Amino acid sequence: MKLIGIVGSNATNSTNRQLLQFMQQHFSDQAEIDLCEIKDLPAFNEPADKTAPTGVQLLSDKIMAADGVIVSTPEYDHSIPAALKSAIEWLSYTTRPLIDKPVMIVGASHGSLGSSRAQAHLRQILDAPELKARIMPSDEFLLGHSLTAFAEDGQLIYPEKVQELEECFAEFVDFVTLTNELLKNRHVNAEHQRQFSWELDANGGQN
Amino acid sequence: MKLIGIVGTNANFSYNRLLLKYMQQHFAKDAEIEIIELTDVPMFNESDDQTNSPIIQAFNDKITAADGVIIATPEHNHSISSALKSLLEWLSFNVHPLDGKPVMIVGASLSSQGSSRAQLHLRQILDAPGVNAAVMPGNEFLLGSVQLAFDDEGNLREQGTIEFLETCFSRFQRFAKISNLLNIPEEVTFTPGTFAVTTPGHNGDLPMSVTLSKKRIEKIEIDTSKETEGIADVVFARIPQEIIDGQTLNVDVISGASVTSHGVIDGVAQAVKMAGANPDYLRQRPKAGTPQANQDEDYTTDVVIVGAGGAGLTAAAKTLQEGKKPIVVEKFPAIGGNTVRAGGPMNAADPEWQKQFPAIAGEAHTLQEIAAMDPETIDTEYRPDFLKLREQLEAYLTENDDQGSYLFDSTLLYRIQTYLGGKRTDLQGNEIHGQYDLVKILTDHALESVKWLADIGVEFDQSEVTMPVGAIWRRGHKPAKSVGYAYIEALSDYVKANGGQIMTDTDVTSLIDEDGQVRGIIATGANGQKVTIHAAAVVLASGGFGANTKMLKQYNTYWTEIADDIKTSNSPAITGDGIRLGQSVGADLVGMGFSQMMPVSDPDTGDLFTGLQVPPQNFVMVNQQGRRFVNEYGSRDQLTQAAIDNGGLFYLIADDRIKATAYNTSQEKIDQQVAAGTLYRDDTIAGLAQQLKMDPAVLEDTVTKYNRYADAGLDPEFGKDVFDLKVEQAPFYATPRKPAVHHTMGGLKIDTKAHVLNEQGQVINVLYAAGEVAGGIHAGNRLGGNSLTDIFTFGRIAADSAIHECLK
Repeated sequence: MKLIGIVGSNATNSTNRQLLQFMQQHFSDQAEIDLCEIKDLPAFNEPADKTAPTGVQLLSDKIMAADGVIVSTPEYDHSIPAALKSAIEWLSYTTRPLIDKPVMIVGASHGSLGSSRAQAHLRQILDAPELKARIMPSDEFLLGHSLTAFAEDGQLIYPEKVQELEECFAEFVDFVTLTNELLKNRHVNAEHQRQFSWELDANGGQN
Repeated sequence: MKLIGIVGTNANFSYNRLLLKYMQQHFAKDAEIEIIELTDVPMFNESDDQTNSPIIQAFNDKITAADGVIIATPEHNHSISSALKSLLEWLSFNVHPLDGKPVMIVGASLSSQGSSRAQLHLRQILDAPGVNAAVMPGNEFLLGSVQLAFDDEGNLREQGTIEFLETCFSRFQRFAKISNLLNIPEEVTFTPGTFAVTTPGHNGDLPMSVTLSKKRIEKIEIDTSKETEGIADVVFARIPQEIIDGQTLNVDVISGASVTSHGVIDGVAQAVKMAGANPDYLRQRPKAGTPQANQDEDYTTDVVIVGAGGAGLTAAAKTLQEGKKPIVVEKFPAIGGNTVRAGGPMNAADPEWQKQFPAIAGEAHTLQEIAAMDPETIDTEYRPDFLKLREQLEAYLTENDDQGSYLFDSTLLYRIQTYLGGKRTDLQGNEIHGQYDLVKILTDHALESVKWLADIGVEFDQSEVTMPVGAIWRRGHKPAKSVGYAYIEALSDYVKANGGQIMTDTDVTSLIDEDGQVRGIIATGANGQKVTIHAAAVVLASGGFGANTKMLKQYNTYWTEIADDIKTSNSPAITGDGIRLGQSVGADLVGMGFSQMMPVSDPDTGDLFTGLQVPPQNFVMVNQQGRRFVNEYGSRDQLTQAAIDNGGLFYLIADDRIKATAYNTSQEKIDQQVAAGTLYRDDTIAGLAQQLKMDPAVLEDTVTKYNRYADAGLDPEFGKDVFDLKVEQAPFYATPRKPAVHHTMGGLKIDTKAHVLNEQGQVINVLYAAGEVAGGIHAGNRLGGNSLTDIFTFGRIAADSAIHECLK
């Protein structure tokens, strides 16, 4: 199984990056997880020609080619970081690779809540019709106190958290298989092209 | 009423902008609404703070000054736009203008939703603790199908919509007025009096007295007589001053001294509580007139010196003596760098003076051993000096064969000992020893440095010759006043009295490099302003990189492992800045892989004098399993490597009599540390082992064996042969220890004139370096007492070369 892991932070040091690196290595026997950074993407700005900048196109191509996507989000001010939001806006405004793509949400935070509010927002955002990601329901993986959660060699040091993550990931593997099976005959071309209300804003409501 | 309207999108065309413009004009007689755009706001990045950029400062200033804020948000993917989110992240990072600010949310969208989901998200975001805005509840203004809502003049068409907006807006005016009342600082009344509290210092609690009148904090006095001079005095001066100036407990802590800073603030808070007031109200008050003006600054001087430690201040004093103007730039609030932390005297061979002191046991033996060395084992450049030294030693040893002899020394002995002491081989088999010409300069000019310091105003205690810790000969010149600080105090007094400028809180970010020519430095000041200093010469005196673990690990070739969480005895300012600056103009580096560790340091702080620090004959070192692992009399390097091999953390075991031989402690401090859990005490060895999570049988066995060896005077396991006390008298103690970084020997490659050299060995014009930032002298191991000699000698040389080459 080929998966993409999106690091939802543009910070130099990010425990969400560490979390994905851990997953990449820990689940290497079950899936090939390719980590993608958003930190070098430009800020979203509604380009008139609706073409994706190179970095966004590369990310989009990787998502298209993957069986599923894992997003690891920090929490800034009860929501996802602007940098992650910007990346999502690019995808929804240009290529829409997340339509029907199975998505797993994880997150790490320095405090005790483990990015819970950001994850709830991210679910609602990815559920918008212009994104239409197939988010794995119910399971959530929240890693609190993330600054002390990883050993020097990148291992997650709490065995109960490792077990929880293993259970979530096993479920996601099933979810990816089932979702892709279920949706394999759906034609999404039309949706990739459809105009959504917020983008019409930029054109003064004109198509 | 003055309001700010924020257009929540960076799109060229936006109905939300139109809506705000309509409100601006429609409500013009009720309120002045200034609309600000977020188009130029950079993407938020916590690793690249741009709070001080003009655009964020403009938002900060305008919002702070306004009575309220209206945010008009579009809806992108069921949430607010990333552009708006980015702005809010900046405004909740290092500045918080929205804290308590009344906010009205409006929104427009093409769909029938009118940005409903985005508005809910925005409410939650504005409610986050870092933002903490006062968002008006209810009164949701959602403008759906917005493309039909405005006429050609930009007015809303629907009377019903206009009326609803008017209702919402008039509610907001009342809400803002009431809400802003909450922002008026809480009235605070004290029961007048002087309150005795304490604040934590480096060496235990310090007594502090706080005098409060009915309305004001009048006086804060801290008794610092027990404190190490120099390190914390900037805290004890600045924090009380800021508290009194601003009548606030909202005070910035001082970098490098955050524990002490918080201690003072908490002490005052405690006094406020004792006086019957709530300290939280004082914490919510604004900071003392922080100069918000961050005008860029521009200076021109003769010599600019990076770092206000011993080397930098020496270079500044020397520059002034030559009639030229120096500016010293220091990134920390306090001056002194590592020099204020120096515990030892400085080395200089002064045979005439040393002659007055009788030799002590073992010294003749040391000299015999040196004289007996095979000259073939001495590197060729040192060999002629060695042969001359051998003659000196043989003459002395013959002359003083069987009579009460005097303490011998010579410049040659000092040179050869510096060379021998520094010779090391790293893990890859690379041998390193001190570069001859630099070691010659150091040892030839050491005594001159002592005399120069005496002229500047450092008083030396000539009645005693000492051996600094880690030195191998008694040639230490000890200042009469408390060691490291004495140098800094005298030098900074001299520099200030003679018109030299020292700029603290100013962090040098780059060298001005014009077409390959260094012409000064660029720094960031305390308020984020750009400080440019043009100078004829630049002296780098910023210290080594002992407090930069990443850099240590990157270059290390000597230790098998450097832990990620390794502590240091250095000032936290010592992060290799000067080495990076030198590299930016092509400087060569030398000996970077070698660093010196203090094996017996506090695992949490890197301090040497916590717990029970006793003489080595009374050391009993056990690893985390409770077993001895090394000859406690070993060299620093041997102890450090053994500790690393045993997982870093180890314990010094002591009994009640060994406790009495500990330096720098008192029963009060010991009890405090036991209570704080940083020192372990138990009535039995088994109990102590349990506290340390060791197998009691193992630790008991270790102690029994050690006591047996002490009786026999010999340790067959590790070869310890100098013993004093046994471990037998309860209560028993365990002091946790771990190696900490003490000195980095490597650095910029320099020549005898303190020029920084490039990789081709050529001089980099007008760039000089002195002190720990430079490498080559101490090679693999620096003798105790030699870093002071280094900074005072090469600090003078750097300034001297700069002046004679660049200013004459």
